[in-house]
Amino acid sequence: MKIRLQDGTARTYDGGAARVWEVLLALDENPAGVIVSRNGRVIPEDTVLGRDDEIRVIRVSHGG
Amino acid sequence: MALPGRPPACDLCGQDAVFLDRVRGCHLCGDHFLRDMEGRVRHTLWEYRLLRPGERIAVALSGGKDSTVLLHLLRKFLPVPGTVTLTAITVDEGIAGYRDATQRVAREMAARLGVEHRIVSFSDLAGSTLDAMVAAGGEHPCTLCGVHRRKALQETAMALGATAVATGHNLNDEAQTVVMNCLRGDLHGFTRSPVRCSAPSPRFASRIPVREPADGGLRRIKPLFRIPEKEVALYGMLTGIFHDLPECPYAGTALRSEARRMVDRLEYLRPGTLGRIVRGQEELATLCRGIPEKPGKDGDPRGRPSTVT
Repeated sequence: MKIRLQDGTARTYDGGAARVWEVLLALDENPAGVIVSRNGRVIPEDTVLGRDDEIRVIRVSHGG
Repeated sequence: MALPGRPPACDLCGQDAVFLDRVRGCHLCGDHFLRDMEGRVRHTLWEYRLLRPGERIAVALSGGKDSTVLLHLLRKFLPVPGTVTLTAITVDEGIAGYRDATQRVAREMAARLGVEHRIVSFSDLAGSTLDAMVAAGGEHPCTLCGVHRRKALQETAMALGATAVATGHNLNDEAQTVVMNCLRGDLHGFTRSPVRCSAPSPRFASRIPVREPADGGLRRIKPLFRIPEKEVALYGMLTGIFHDLPECPYAGTALRSEARRMVDRLEYLRPGTLGRIVRGQEELATLCRGIPEKPGKDGDPRGRPSTVT
């Protein structure tokens, strides 16, 4: 599974089918602080992803 | 585990969900999420009587997601067109590589919504950019920025004849502030109401702390203070007004960043933590009604609006 991050970099997840939150935790991302989309559509964090899926992770927490 | 494929279904209509509400335990599709969030913001406006006929509201518009969503919603919820006037104010702190992009978004958003827009800069008001102040040493960048930004907002809003300043603070911001006040041992800050209102709806008058600005000046209103940051961002994405913008280069070293990490982690582990922190603080503020306010760092009473989000 391919994961595209906000900074333009890409990561892979080799754990097979998994829920979005499991993938995020594996990437050390807090699911409460990001929005995830697949094929341009936002998906909830309990969506089950397939090994061939590609997702985009958008971090929403900013500021000073 | 379910098979890979479609997302879970919306609990209200069966369409593909875009959001899992972990506090209420339900899935919502895009349409129902938008309606639900708009309903909650509208309820806050009504409960605290945040918009009053005949007023001019100055909206602090940084161009970031929170202030952009705030302006969009206020424009949408104006009681009757013409009875409440909105003016957006953008403060240009003078932060190289950061403010240009957000300022462009602010300009476009105000034009798109037909809202009057003023841009004021630290250079004009204080004679120096934030970058130059930081380079000169002294206070933490966020402290300098907060003081000058409050002053810029207050002076511009008052010059425009506004009676209130609306800021885009969300539930995460408010919970972080409570935690920061605890960490600083700031009792006055800890007992300060998150919302200022002189006349709450009668139904809620008994439990809402009533706080007039200490100097009789501007009210500060935060219509998004009960909406988690993730939901504000999702609303912006679904309505096409979310822009992926750079983060302030000074943000990383602020105490707020520590507080953010702390409450975000707790919210994930124990959904509803953010709301409980802020509700607890509201109750405490009610109990402590009558305690005089402490003057702000710049010597003025705390009637000034907080930082723009």
